[in-house]
Amino acid sequence: MNRKQAGRSSSSPKRKKRASRKTKRFTLKMQKKLIILFGLICLCFLILAGRLVMITRNNGIEYSMAVLSQQSYENLTLPYKRGRISDANGTILADSTLVYNVIIDSKVIGQSPYYMEPTLAAAEYLGLDKEKLRTYITEHPTSQYYIARKRVSYKDRLAYDEWINKGLEEENSKKGLLDSNKFYNNIKGIWFEQNYIRTYPSGALASDVIGFANNSNVGSYGLEEYYNDVLNGVEGRTYGYLDEARNLETTTIEAQDGNNLVLTLDGNIQSIVMRYLDAFGEEYKDNVHPGNGANNIGCIIQDVNNGNILAMGSYPGYDLSNPYDPVRLIGMPVLSETDEATDEYLTEEAVEALTEEDQNRYLNALWRNYCITDYYEPGSVIKPFTVATGLETGKVSPDDTYECEGKLLVADKTIKCHNIYGDGTLTVGEAVERSCNVALMYMAEQIGTELFTQYQKNFNFGLKTNIDLAGEARTDSMVYDADSMGPVDLATNSFGQNFNVTMIQTITGFSSLVNGGVYYEPHIVSRITSASGATVQTIQPRVLKHTISEDTCEQLKDYMVRVVEGDNGTGKSAKPAGYRIGGKTGTAETLPRNNNEYVTSFMGFAPIDHPQIAIYVVIDRPNVEQQDTARYACLLGRDILQEVLPYLNIYMTEDLTDREKAELEEKGLRDTNGLGD
Amino acid sequence: MPFFKPKTRKRGLEAAKSDGRVPFHDYTLVFIIFALLLFGLIMLYSITSYQGQVLNDDSMFYFRNQFRYMVVGLLIMIVAAIFPYSITKRLAVPVYLASIISVLLTLTPLGYSANGATRWLDFKYFNVQPAEIVKAGVIFLTASMIDSLGHRIATWRGFLLPLVPSSFAALLIWRITRNMSSAIIVMAIVMGMLFVACPYYKRFIALGALVGGAGIYWIASTVRRAAETGVTADFRGERILAWLNPQAYADDKAYQTLQALYAIGSGGLFGKGLGQSLQKLGHVPELQNDMIFSIICEELGLFGAISLMLLYLFLILRFVMIANNTRDLYGALLVIGVLTHIAVQVILNIAVVTNTIPNTGVTLPFISYGGTSILLLLAEVGVVISVSRGIGIKKSD
Repeated sequence: MNRKQAGRSSSSPKRKKRASRKTKRFTLKMQKKLIILFGLICLCFLILAGRLVMITRNNGIEYSMAVLSQQSYENLTLPYKRGRISDANGTILADSTLVYNVIIDSKVIGQSPYYMEPTLAAAEYLGLDKEKLRTYITEHPTSQYYIARKRVSYKDRLAYDEWINKGLEEENSKKGLLDSNKFYNNIKGIWFEQNYIRTYPSGALASDVIGFANNSNVGSYGLEEYYNDVLNGVEGRTYGYLDEARNLETTTIEAQDGNNLVLTLDGNIQSIVMRYLDAFGEEYKDNVHPGNGANNIGCIIQDVNNGNILAMGSYPGYDLSNPYDPVRLIGMPVLSETDEATDEYLTEEAVEALTEEDQNRYLNALWRNYCITDYYEPGSVIKPFTVATGLETGKVSPDDTYECEGKLLVADKTIKCHNIYGDGTLTVGEAVERSCNVALMYMAEQIGTELFTQYQKNFNFGLKTNIDLAGEARTDSMVYDADSMGPVDLATNSFGQNFNVTMIQTITGFSSLVNGGVYYEPHIVSRITSASGATVQTIQPRVLKHTISEDTCEQLKDYMVRVVEGDNGTGKSAKPAGYRIGGKTGTAETLPRNNNEYVTSFMGFAPIDHPQIAIYVVIDRPNVEQQDTARYACLLGRDILQEVLPYLNIYMTEDLTDREKAELEEKGLRDTNGLGD
Repeated sequence: MPFFKPKTRKRGLEAAKSDGRVPFHDYTLVFIIFALLLFGLIMLYSITSYQGQVLNDDSMFYFRNQFRYMVVGLLIMIVAAIFPYSITKRLAVPVYLASIISVLLTLTPLGYSANGATRWLDFKYFNVQPAEIVKAGVIFLTASMIDSLGHRIATWRGFLLPLVPSSFAALLIWRITRNMSSAIIVMAIVMGMLFVACPYYKRFIALGALVGGAGIYWIASTVRRAAETGVTADFRGERILAWLNPQAYADDKAYQTLQALYAIGSGGLFGKGLGQSLQKLGHVPELQNDMIFSIICEELGLFGAISLMLLYLFLILRFVMIANNTRDLYGALLVIGVLTHIAVQVILNIAVVTNTIPNTGVTLPFISYGGTSILLLLAEVGVVISVSRGIGIKKSD
């Protein structure tokens, strides 16, 4: 030290001289101060190192946990595709379509001033409002997830990708392009999120059967509700986890798409049915009173040999693409506090004035499947069941005759026949043909309550049919059992009053009456297939029980042909040109009685030798002057059968009159007489 | 003391007596610089590969840009090292004026903004941050002024004169580019140079006390006002409150700071290992710039962080040696300017990351991502090498 100091001082005069001459010297004092400056810097470093040690030692565990807890693991759910529903011919009735949500990440866009314009231009390509988006990005610079547009179709997405990729390729092939002049490379912060939406290409065609699902894949009504779990798949998931070395690993489990349903329902038959139902509704709309053509019209066509539902529809209907459309409510009967139909009808103004709660009440009434959910007193269509019970039990013989005087006194109560002047002496067949109440009451008396109620159960009245649709009504409390049934109840039950049924119960029972006594469980789905198209399950016809013998069946069919063909038949107007069919009409006064309001119906089968299909048409309170006639139901049934039978390749067997020929020509139908031979 | 007086000095003196001097090449300095650059590149790649992949579809994006700037920067460093630094004395005023103009240019359409402040000039091919140029300009001008003043530096007039142009430059940076941290750094550089050049301590102690007192008063009044009215006057006030109680502002003002603390705390003694940071997966904003040190702590732990700090200290020590061995006042002042520049930035950066001072944006020299900063730092190092070459060593026999 001393030596150096000495050395320096000895040389300093010389250096000073030189410095003053040319350059100034960095003096000893300055050197000392520089050492002090260095010391200060060292002190700062020491303090900071101390801080680091403190943070690590005092908060190390706490902060490590904070870090781990912030890892989002990128937990994303991947949507599955809900299964499609198609009819017997493969026509798609309900489907899920892949769409994309456009997500904007403002934070990414804000990372460079070059990104904004190209990204906005790209957003415009996707159909977004450029200026609105600019405002959003400027106002929310940290937003990373903004759904700018929903439901961009797969096709549009593809076109967009192609546009970008083409542009990128072109741009990247140009050498030396500046970042600021790039366009496609500066499109940032736009990404797509996969989603599925439910679509109903069939619109209002089979709304009662299909029901509808919302975009969260929850089905309401019909198949969408009943088969909700089958149609839904399993959501996929992308998630991250930390392995032993605390590396963030990502795994993706693909979504499993839902299964598809193939129906027994035939879209062509269904459309024939709906066309006539809607035409009737339209024709009698605002006829006697303002409102729909009828409170309800329902129609089911069933394959009698396996229980398959070929068509099922009701009026008024609704469009599955827009089930909440309040316009459809116009013309519906005003509902009472207890949701019973009243004599008032909803006008356009009344619909507009509905509260949200009330509107939901009416919508629920509209969405309800009349064919399975509503119950009513069936009326005379029950008579074949009563006769079948009598014949099958042997209590009634085909040769028995009954005397009708227009009324019958049952346990101090006079019950009228609809022909109050009396039908005279009738055979069993004539009783059915004329639909005589008195004769049927006699028969029921012969059968007795025990057997009558037992056979009612056999025909499945009071029990659910277990059709694979949501919302089938329970009717167990609406029929009598042997103990509770009095003589008057027995008498009125014999002709279809005083107990309630659903349409599906009636037609399924009826099918067993004409197919030789085999009671099939009704169903509407024939096959469940996987997303890839492989069959997962085939639903075979299921025989639940045997109701009557073949002989009784032949006898009954004969009686029911007389209803359509006999001179006194009540269902003559139901006969389609060129065909022989059997059937039974029904007219039942609704409660309260003496209101002149009726549920009228026609139930038929065709062809008569080897029945293939059964049809059941019910018109609930038609908007006409005289409701107590089955004529409207018969005509509706006839019109439908006239078109459905040739479609099913059932050929005509009868010669056509000139008038019938002209009528057929008007409808564009052919004379198929003799083609089957 | 002997530790700081290496043999080169003795030799230099001896060499000065004899005229057989050869240029001295400070390989140690070059080695430290290369070590820092290499370390910086490795860490930058480790830290930004994820971000680059996500944002630019290219994990090498940041690495490649930084590497390009480093290559250019090293070329500039070599040119500056060969170039006789004494000529820069005459260039000091034009360089200073150019740096002032560059700040003013941010007011023209050339300026481009990010995060709400216009701090860059957009020259199409590259971006320039004028504040970095000002730092270099002020070093040259102040060194030149002090050198010209000679012994008059001891007077009040001599003390205040060099403060005029630098204060003006700092004011411009602060008001125009809204970059207070760069303004502070500029003033710190000048004060560092003046501190060494002036023969007094008292006025520096007084000045330090004044600045410290004003700072404490400001912090206290901000806290009191916030407690009384529930609001703060401006965003700096909010930063003060966030600094004092980061947990309370975890979602907003203190988010960055808190995330940096999490990163440091979770690193432990030896860190999670290179490339294993979890915080870099999108949790630390500006991680390639101001917050890079926190991820270094997370990946390499206390050991890595303190090693890096020692490397910086070693670099500064090397500068001290060069300055103390330089006969020429101007050359020594240039070295002190560069030394202060680097030291202040390192200290401020680490102080921000560890929440020792309120959050302000300062980059970590040689390691943070940023072109202008790396170019000018390497140019400054080149000048230091040029100064060190003037020391000269005796030709060995």
